[in-house]
Formats: sequence, structure tokens, C-alpha cells
Amino acid sequence: MIDRAVATEGVTNASAMHDALKISRLVLSPAILAGLIMLPWFGDFGLQRLLVEAFTLFAIALAWNLLAGYGGLVAIGLHFFVGVGSYALFSISNVLHLNPWVALPLATACTAVTALISAWPMFRLSGAYFAVGTWVLAEITRIAVLNTGWLGAGAGMPLEMISSFDRWSRNANVYWAALAIGAGSLVLTVAMLRSRLGLALKSVRDSEVAALASGVPASRAKLALWVIAGSIAGTAGAVSYMSTLQVTPDASFSLSWTASAIFIVVLGGIGTVEGPIVGTFVYFALREAFAGFGSWYFIGLGSLAVAMMIGAPGGAWSLVQRFYPIDLFGIRRRMPTVIVHHNATGAS
Amino acid sequence: MPTGQASHRLILGCDMSTLIETLINGLLLGALYALFGLGLSISLGVMRMINIAHGDLIVVGAYIASVVTQAAGVHALTSLVIVVPVMFAIGWLLQRTLLNHVVGRNVFAPLLVTFGLSVVIQNLLQEMCTADTRSIRAENISQIGFDIGGVSIGLLPLLSAGVSVGLFALTHAIVGRTHYGRQSRAVADDPSTARLVGIDDKNFLAIVTGFALAATAFAAVLYAIRTPFSPTAGPERLLYSFEAVVLGGLGNLWGTFLGGLIIGVAQLLGARVSSGLGPFFGHLVFLVILLARPQGLFARAAR
Repeated sequence: MIDRAVATEGVTNASAMHDALKISRLVLSPAILAGLIMLPWFGDFGLQRLLVEAFTLFAIALAWNLLAGYGGLVAIGLHFFVGVGSYALFSISNVLHLNPWVALPLATACTAVTALISAWPMFRLSGAYFAVGTWVLAEITRIAVLNTGWLGAGAGMPLEMISSFDRWSRNANVYWAALAIGAGSLVLTVAMLRSRLGLALKSVRDSEVAALASGVPASRAKLALWVIAGSIAGTAGAVSYMSTLQVTPDASFSLSWTASAIFIVVLGGIGTVEGPIVGTFVYFALREAFAGFGSWYFIGLGSLAVAMMIGAPGGAWSLVQRFYPIDLFGIRRRMPTVIVHHNATGAS
Repeated sequence: MPTGQASHRLILGCDMSTLIETLINGLLLGALYALFGLGLSISLGVMRMINIAHGDLIVVGAYIASVVTQAAGVHALTSLVIVVPVMFAIGWLLQRTLLNHVVGRNVFAPLLVTFGLSVVIQNLLQEMCTADTRSIRAENISQIGFDIGGVSIGLLPLLSAGVSVGLFALTHAIVGRTHYGRQSRAVADDPSTARLVGIDDKNFLAIVTGFALAATAFAAVLYAIRTPFSPTAGPERLLYSFEAVVLGGLGNLWGTFLGGLIIGVAQLLGARVSSGLGPFFGHLVFLVILLARPQGLFARAAR
């Protein structure tokens, strides 16, 4: 009886908390978003540039986390999409003389198609083979671009059309594009995880055999995930190079993109949506505070990641969850109340 | 008919003897790549552990060799007397202090820990030894070559290939015939049962990683004599090692050796087509073979 009372109270608490979260989501997110949209009118260029970096890297980390944390797909070569997305944007804008912001959705479409095509070879592989396969794919594309004359070879190419904008509107528009990809990828991820696709993915992640036996179309769900994650990473890459004005094969197809994404996800918490958010905060806070220490900063960052994986494999978010078990985005499926009652009676 | 004869002997834009020379040098280079992959193959085969820091550990070996040759004034090959035990100790310590915590947990844990380790190693090397490229001079082996029937072969590649074959054979013998080998196969097949029948797996895995890094030490010294290196040279070494291991099939020792040979030959033949495209053709051949056989050439039968 006591158990049942506790259980019922727990359920009431949980649903009260759920309602509170729902309300705060409805009120807080538009407020935060509105504040961020207005930033160009009161923030300086330095802050804008930092946030462009943070939003784009957040989106790439979210994409890596989607693949690894929800699809069980460890892609060491996620930077393949960063390169493809940025080159797609630059070449479309330069060849068609298009406004880069108009070209951006086209670049997203390009990465989505590339993801779809690359899925054919990559999805024949699994586990470690897949991890290495994606890396080789990124590397082979880098060398191919490096040797392609009309893509500017090793020197890369500038974004010609952007010079027609004045400095303020250029910075502000790049910032808004970054905010759009950061917030947009978050909304898309949450919507996806709450949909049937999300449920399918989570069931595959927890037990692929059981999921297949219950009729979950595992490979189709993974393909959808690959295309979504690839498009997010590609668009984020494109926006990121919009702000640097020049794209080169060695920088855009660089392993360091995937490395930063992995850091963010490991620090924040793999397999959660909150993880990459927390991770991005931690990553940029550490960088702004300690980047002056050069190599020692990276040594500290690497050691922190190692310590995190050994001591708290769920990342910083799992440490928060230990004390405040909240589900910010309402993604976790809660067990119906009746079943909780049943279990409590059974246990007592 | 001299012209007709000449065109008859032209393949890939070069004459027959150049082609044979490229093939032989590709095989010799490939044997070195296989040796890069040996340590990775061992840790993947026994522990299912993807060691992202493997390439950086090769570079660590190269730096230790460079320090030893300078400090003691000895020949690069003599430095192995110190480099091999030091690398064994590093491997043993890494496994005991860090990797044992994450082995067997899931696929990501070891991968992400070694990823962090890789960043730490690269930056420690940069801090201690500067970012400049270094090389180890050993003219008495790197400058000597033989001319066999119009085909010239360097002493160093020949020596590397010999060491590689020797170490693969040694590993093969250890895995197949010794008590340690039986233990390693038992742990690879079923870690928990192996523990049940009395294998101290924590200590055993430390010895395995020690051995893997001792083998890597040979690769490191031969690499350091062959090519200048810098603290950030690791990831590229890792990629070639990975390609050799994955191409051969995870956990298959001689598969790794053959995988290395294929990558080596593909790179040098590719470099004949266009000098900058050697690695490109290596990667291309890797992907094409993997598409035909997604589990590698000689995958161990699925359990």
C-alpha cells in the first residue's frame, strides 16, 4: 500500500513537472529565440561571429549525435557533408550568380541527394567498417576536390556574390542563417524523435533484433536518419563558410569538424538532445577561457573527454539528470499511469 | 621493328621494367602499411577495440626513437632496444589505467576514449618537441639500393618488408601455439567465459596492448627512417592502418597483411597515373573492394 502511495505521488509529481515544462517551453523558447534574432542590433561583430561558430558547430554535433546516439552509426567521416555542403553553396552561388542565402536551400538539397547516393555504398558496411568507410569517403572526396580545377583546386574559391552586401547586413544575415540552422536543426530533431521515426530508431538502438521482429523497418529508418543528419551537417558547413568567405578542400573536408562534434557530444551527453546543447556551452566556455594556453588547452580538453567517458559516460547532462530528472523536450516516452500502479502493487 | 615492340611493352604509360619496379615497391610499401596495421589488428581482434590513437602512438614511437638516437648517439635500428620496451610499457600502462575501464562496454566507449587520447598525444608532442617536422638519419640503410635485372630496389623498403613478415609470422606463432595465444583466442571469442575459467583478463589485456605497441615500435622506427614526421602525422598513419585491417577483415592477421599490400600497390600504381593521386587510388581500391566484400576479404565467420 505504501509503495502504491509513493508510486502515485511520483506519477503526480512527474506529470506536474511535465506540465510545468510544457508551459515553460511555450513561453521561454519564443522569448529566447526573439532575443537571439534581435542580437545584430545590439551585439558587436565579434559576438556575432562567435555565435555563428557556436550555432553551426552545435548543428553538426547534433547531426553526429543523431547518427551515433540514435542510429548506432559511428561516422568518423561526418566532415564529408560539411565539405559537400560548403562546396555546393559556393559553386551554386558563383556559377548561377545567385544570392548566397537563396543558394543555401539548394546546397541543402545537394547534400540530401549526396547523402542518399552515398548511403548505397556506406550502408553495405556496418560497425567499424562503416566508421572507417565514411572517413575514407571524406578523404577521397577531399583529394578529388583538391585536384579539380574548376573547384579552385588547393586554393579553393571565394564566395563572389557576397561582396555586394555591406558589412553590417552581411554579418547580420550570416548570423541569422546560423541561428536558423541551429534552431531549425533542434526543432527538426525534436520533431523527428517524437514521431514514429524516432520511436523506430530508439527501438532499433535498444535492440535491433527485437525491433526487426516487431516489424520496425530498421534500414529505412536509418536511411532517413542518414539523409537528415547529412543535410543538417552540410547546411551548417555551408553557413559556416559563408562567414569565412573562402572555402578550401583541406579546411572544409577536415577531420577537425568531426572531432569538435565528438567533443561536444561526449562532454554534453551522447544519445540525448540536451547533451549537444550543454556540450556546446561547455565547449565554447572552455575555449573562450583557455584557448590562450594553446596546446595545453587541447591537452586539457582531451583529458576531460577521456575522464568523462570513463567516469560519466552519459556526459554532463547525465550528471544534471542524476539530481534533476527532467526531459526538456518531451522526447522520452512515459509509461502510462495504469502500468506504473500495476508494477507498484506487484512489487509490494 | 623497334617502335612496334616499344608500344607493345607500354602498360599504364610506362614500360615493363618500370611497371615491375612499381609493383615490387608497392608490395614493399604495403608490407610497411601492414606493419602499421598489426597493432590495430591485434587490439581489434582480441578486444573489439577501435583505437583511434593508434596513428599517434606510431608517431610517439618515432619521437622516442629520435630522442634515443640523438641522446645516445646510436644508430636508428639500435634504438629499437629501448623503443620496443618503452612502447610495451606505454601500452601496458594505457590498458591498465584507461582502456580496461571501457573495453567491452559498447562500441563507442573505447573509440571515444582513444579519440580523446589522440588529441592529448598530438598536443603533448607539439608542446614537448615543437610542431616542426623531424627525421631520423640513417644513410647507411636509407640510401642503399640494389639493381636486379634493371629493377632497382632500396635496402630500407626491403628491410621493412622483412621485419613486417617476421613480426606477422611471430604473432601468428604466438596466437596459434602458445598459452598466451590460447588465452587471447578465448578472450576474443567470449570474454566472460574466459574470465570464468580463470583468465585474469585485466592483466592479460594489458599484456596484449603492450605487445601490440611493441610491434608498433618496429613500424614507428622504420617509418621514421623512411619519412619525415611531425606531431600531427598520426591520423594519416591511422587511416592507412585502418584500411589494411578493415580490407583484410577484422581479426584476421594475414588478412591485415594482404590488405596492407593491396593499399601499397594501389597507391604506387596510382602515383604513376598522376603523382598527386597515390593515396586517392589507395582509398578508391579500398572502397571498391569493401563494396564487393563488406566484411573485408577474409572476415572471421560471424558468431
